[in-house]
Amino acid sequence: MDLSTISFLILGVLACVLTGVMITRRWPVSAAMLLIAIFALLAGMYGLLDAHFAAAAQIIVYAGAIMVVFVFVIMLLNIPPEELRYGRVTLMEWVLTAMGVLAALWFGTRIGQGYLGSIAEHLVPGLGRKPFFPEHENVKNVAALMFTDYLWSFELISFLILAAVVGSIVIAKKRSHNVKPA
Amino acid sequence: MLSLPEMGIYFSLVLFLGGMFAVMFRKNIIFMMLGIEIMLNAANLAFVCASKITNTMDGQVIMFFVMAVAACEAAIGLAMLITLYRAKSSVEVDDLRLLRG
Repeated sequence: MDLSTISFLILGVLACVLTGVMITRRWPVSAAMLLIAIFALLAGMYGLLDAHFAAAAQIIVYAGAIMVVFVFVIMLLNIPPEELRYGRVTLMEWVLTAMGVLAALWFGTRIGQGYLGSIAEHLVPGLGRKPFFPEHENVKNVAALMFTDYLWSFELISFLILAAVVGSIVIAKKRSHNVKPA
Repeated sequence: MLSLPEMGIYFSLVLFLGGMFAVMFRKNIIFMMLGIEIMLNAANLAFVCASKITNTMDGQVIMFFVMAVAACEAAIGLAMLITLYRAKSSVEVDDLRLLRG
């Protein structure tokens, strides 16, 4: 067991434990702060998986941009403490949870048998592109694929972001006529 | 002994379940959106691990598309959350029973 395996295990276990802590918090702000820590841990895992550009983008986009918006909105709403309450968990939800855990366990048992590699070979033959440049030139590898095979998806994503910007402004600007003052 | 990306797939399973529990059990819309972010991150981790297992680059490219979708989803969802809180002065999904405003 080498150093990278040990650090990957530590990062992954810490991320899972922090997820469990996060979803049981009462205050939204502490949950958002824990989520930033989880994103940083995931960035470390990407780095250990030789996805260096993904690790940098994880920090910049998720921990830098998305979580700032989250924390800003939580502060903007300024919810009084008595309005934050825990919901009751119904029987149906427990049943659904058990089904989800069972499905995850079933899927987990298949991974150890080299299932994922074989399913990728069978489902999408010829789709996956081998890295074009050496392993340590991760940005070049990502760019070489993103701007050739995935060029149209890349351009469509920019339209999606434009639509999201316009849509969020329209939603936030809208004045409802039947809104009673709080 | 599992290899590094195979362990990562297991971690992504646990993270996805954690996000799923947040969406299912918490009635607070903010926690539900944080759970959605966790689930998208678990999917990203699975993409990167699959890219490492199959020695292809497609997983890492699709991860960036998922990241862009997550950013759009957060922006739209939070704008809707602000509008809902103005209209109902509550962030609990149980208080949002009517489809009409």
